[in-house]
Order: sequence, then C-alpha cells, then structure tokens
Amino acid sequence: MKLYSIMIFFKKLKKNIFLNFFNTILSLVILLTTLLVCLNTFRWFIFNADWRVVTSNLSLYAFGSFPSDEQWRPAIWITSLLLLSIITLCGPCWKWIQQNLLLAWMSTIPLGLYLLYGGFGLSPIMSRHLGGLTLTILLTVCSSLLSLPFGIVLALGRQSSLPLIQKLSSIYIDVMRAIPLIAVLFFGQLLIPLFLPVGIEIDRVWRAIFAFTLFVSAYIAEDIRGGLQSIPNTQIEAAHSLGLNQYQIMQLIIIPQALRIALPALTNQAIGLFQNTSLMAILGLVELLGIGRSILANPEFIGQYIEVYVWLACVYWLVCTIMAILARHLEQTMTINQTNF
Amino acid sequence: MKRSRKIFLQFGIFIIVFSLIGILINNLTINLIRTGLGFNFNWLLKPASFALAEHALPYSTSDSYAWALLIGWLNSLKVIVSSLLLATLLGTVIGFARTGSNSLLGLISAGYITIIRQTPLLLQLMFWYFIGFLGLKENVLISIKNIFKISNQGIELTGLTFSSEFSALLFGLGVFTSAYIAEVIRGGILSVPRGQWEAFRSLGLSEQTGLIKIIIPQALPAIIPGLTSQYLNLAKNSTLAIAVGYSDIYAINDTIINQTGRAIECFIILLTSFLFLNLLISNSMEIINKIIINSKKYN
Repeated sequence: MKLYSIMIFFKKLKKNIFLNFFNTILSLVILLTTLLVCLNTFRWFIFNADWRVVTSNLSLYAFGSFPSDEQWRPAIWITSLLLLSIITLCGPCWKWIQQNLLLAWMSTIPLGLYLLYGGFGLSPIMSRHLGGLTLTILLTVCSSLLSLPFGIVLALGRQSSLPLIQKLSSIYIDVMRAIPLIAVLFFGQLLIPLFLPVGIEIDRVWRAIFAFTLFVSAYIAEDIRGGLQSIPNTQIEAAHSLGLNQYQIMQLIIIPQALRIALPALTNQAIGLFQNTSLMAILGLVELLGIGRSILANPEFIGQYIEVYVWLACVYWLVCTIMAILARHLEQTMTINQTNF
Repeated sequence: MKRSRKIFLQFGIFIIVFSLIGILINNLTINLIRTGLGFNFNWLLKPASFALAEHALPYSTSDSYAWALLIGWLNSLKVIVSSLLLATLLGTVIGFARTGSNSLLGLISAGYITIIRQTPLLLQLMFWYFIGFLGLKENVLISIKNIFKISNQGIELTGLTFSSEFSALLFGLGVFTSAYIAEVIRGGILSVPRGQWEAFRSLGLSEQTGLIKIIIPQALPAIIPGLTSQYLNLAKNSTLAIAVGYSDIYAINDTIINQTGRAIECFIILLTSFLFLNLLISNSMEIINKIIINSKKYN
C-alpha cells in the first residue's frame, strides 16, 4: 500500500515537474536557486542578523509609548482578539459558543475602547500615547466598523430611483475612488480642523479614523452595490406580494443577501485597510511601521533596516493571513447556513 | 412610493446635504479669516524657491509654483508609466507560471503572490529604498562595463541614469502591482473553458501556438477591465513616492503646503491632477479594449 502511494507520488512528480526536456531543466534550475536562497537566508537569519533591535523593543512594537504600568490593558485586548480568533477557527462546535460568537466579537470593540482610553475606574490615557500594533488594530477596527453603515447608505443611494440622491452618492463615490488614500489622510489631518467650528478639536488618531472611514466607505459602497445588483428582481416582487413595506424589504430581504454576496470583497477591504494603516507612519502616527521608523532613528540601532523591516513584514503577513483565514471560515459558515434554509 | 412623496423626500435630503455643506463652508471661511489666509490662486505665479532633484524639463528655484507643479506631474507620469510596464511584464510572467503545467513553478509564484499581497506597499517601498539601494555596502552591485550598472546612486543604463529614489519606487510599485496583475491574468486564463484547450490539442496545434492563437485572445476581454483597475490603483499608489523622497505631484503639493499653508487650494489642484491622470489611463485602456474587440471581429 505504502509502496503504491509512493509510486503514484513519483508518477505525479514526473507528470508535473519533469514533463519534457525544457520543463526538467526549468525545475532543476528552480530547485537549485530556491535551495541557495533558502540556505543564504537561513545563514543570515542565524549568524549575521542582530535581533536585539527586535527582542529588546517588543513592548514598543506592541503598545508604543503606552505607560508601562498600564500595558496590561492593550495586552488583554490583543490577547482576547487572538483567543477569539482561535475559538472561532478551531474551537468546539458547542451550540452556545456558536450562538454567542458574534456577540463576543462585537463586544471586543467597546472593551478595547474602554481598556485603551480608560475612565470608569481605569486611569484615562491620551490618544498620543497609543502606538504600535495596538494603534494599528484600533485604526482598522474603528474605521471598518464606521465605514460599513456609511457604505451601505451610499450603495443604496447609488441604486436609488430618486435622481438627486443617486447623483449625490455617485459623485461622492467616484471622487473618493479617484484620489489616492494618502491625500485623503493628509488633508484629513489638515482640513478637518478647518471645517470644524472654532473651539472643537479632534485628536490625530480620530482624525485618521474619520479620513479612513470617508475613503473606505466609497470602496465598500461599490462592493455592496455589486451585491445589490445580483439580487434578482423576483425577490422584491415576492416580498411585495407578501405585503412587506419598503423598509421591511430593505431590512429583511435585500441588505442581508447583498451583504452575504459582497462578503468576500468586504473582507478583502478589511485586509487592505489593515495594510493601509501603515500610511499613517508618514503622517506622524507611531503605529506599527511608525514605531519601526522611530526605533531605526535611535542611534543604538541605526542602520539595522533589514532586521526591522523583515520583522515588521512578518507581523503584517501574520495578521493579514489570520484575517484571511477568518474571512474564509466566515464565508464557509455562511454558505452552510444558506443551504440549511 | 407616490410621486409627491418622492419629491418631498428628495427635497428634504437636498436641504439636509446643502445645509451641512453650508455649515462646513461657513466654518471654513471663519477659520480662514482667523488664520488670515483667504482663498485665491495668485500664489501660483510666485517663485517656488525650493530645489527639485529630478526634473524632466528645465527647472530652477526661481521658477513659479505652477511650473514646479507641472514638473511634479511629469515626474508622476514618468514613474507611473515605467512601473506600469514593469508590473505588466512581471505580472504576465508570474500569472502564466501560476497557471502553467509545472507545479513547482506554480508553487513558487503562489508564494510570491501571497508574500507581496499580505505586506503593506509602504513597507515594501522602504525595503527597496533603504535596503535595496541605499543599503548597498560596496556601492556597486552589478556593473557590466559602461552598459548597465546598479549602485547606491541608482541605475545607469548606457548613459541614461535613474536616481535611487526613482529606481526604488519603480521596483516597489512594479513588484507590488505585478502580484495583483498576476491574479488578474490567472483569472482571465481560467475563464477560458477547458474545452478550448482540449480542442486545440486535438487539432494538433502545439502548446505555444494554441496559447497565442486560441487561449490569449479569448482571455483578453476578461483581463482588460481588471488590468485597468490595477493600473488606476498603481497611479494612486505612486503618491507613496513621498516616503522615499521622490518629488512626484503629491510630494510637491506637500512641500507647497508646508511653505505657504494653502491646504484647500492644493487639495483642489491635487484632485484635478488625479482626475486628469485617471481619465488618461482609463481612456487609453478603453482604446486598447476597442482595438482588441475590433481585431477579433475581422478575424
């Protein structure tokens, strides 16, 4: 039995890799180069790289300049997010866990805000002390949550039969999609204070979240519009014939289906948003990449670009991959639910 | 809904939106008067008095802001077009490698795509700039007589020199976009039904002829829209040039705002220049699309 499977493996290998002369040469060259690259990387990784720049600054990467005796607060938040991801992915499928999972995910947001900003018994922390991975996650979570309802409204507006609403939301979406994100963020930092009445001020972090929301909601609107357009008209007619009114049709029939169809695109937007929070590094926030830059500016670690950037790339890659796996899991459970109908 | 109710609803939303805009503009004017800036474009003709490392047209510090902006726009166009070509080339190769029969090659290109797509572009740009070009210790990486040279001064190709900022941006944008283009191309090739492959094989055509004559012409209509949106993304992403110190249109706007404080005017200028860039890209892609569709018709 074992021998047989090995034979199949070699047959497949022959078919896939050593198909003809050209392919054989190509495969050998690739194997050799990969081996060389891996060996060199491994050697650098173990012997040449000086990982003190990472290991001695771990708390900076995670929490930024958060007061050191309060760092358990963001730590609890990040750990709870991680635990929840693990439970979602490979936890036991007891019914009460499955039912309360969504609630648990929703409750991480107020929990995070409470833990980070303090108040009600915890000492209050200013936004400027936030940094590192904590700030990156905060920016991602808050902006994606705020932009979802805004995006839905814009998408419905663009699909609307009322010409004025349709025009207004189309203009907003098209203009927002035409300008680069960094411009939106930069002018968000500069212009939001100018548009506010004298005396009211928003701090940098929330200005960034607001700018991200304005930008991302235009993209989300287009994704949801795709979902809206793929719902057949018969659904609406069926709902009408059941005697539902306009708002019930929207709330119960159209939006849930459109969101389910748009889900893969929406999760891609969330992953993109997580990566794009790094742009705030050039606009003066010390999120993950910003912390990396400020550590590199420290004379003790000057010139250790490779170590820091490789480490940051690993962190970003890891979080993005976790998000992608969660998204795929969500899609699968959604399709399972749909077949149960 | 009844007609009267529709009109009423629209009227209500019109009033809400415009009163909101009115409040914002009112706040803006108050704030502009408070800071003593006002709103005009007269400053465009004043001398810019900042130096630009790279300029396609003659430029000196005594030239006007408007001229500096034009130089920036041309710099943007230069980096967009060249990294667009690089990205298309790389993306096509990787896309074909991903769909090809050699599974080893497919595995490697899949790895390339995930690594590139799951890390932020800004990080990759800094990687290319600080490690790829400025980090070259012995100053020269490759040097083939006087024809081709890569050093920490940039790339030199038979007399043509590209600064290290431009080269880092070119490689960063090109490699990043190529991963997305590879996925677009893979999607396009997979959209051609398997029967087509079997059909040309059964007709006795070789793999290459079949690919060029049968598969690619059918995949192109599915590829072009995806390519267009990737090109538009590339144009928008090119504004990250500021991170490596390349003076593109956004970086020059940034400098002007720091010098003069005219954020609103610069925002309008940036907006119009990007609308123009987007129109340029989407219109040329539309022309290419038409050419492809027409060529199919007459064959």
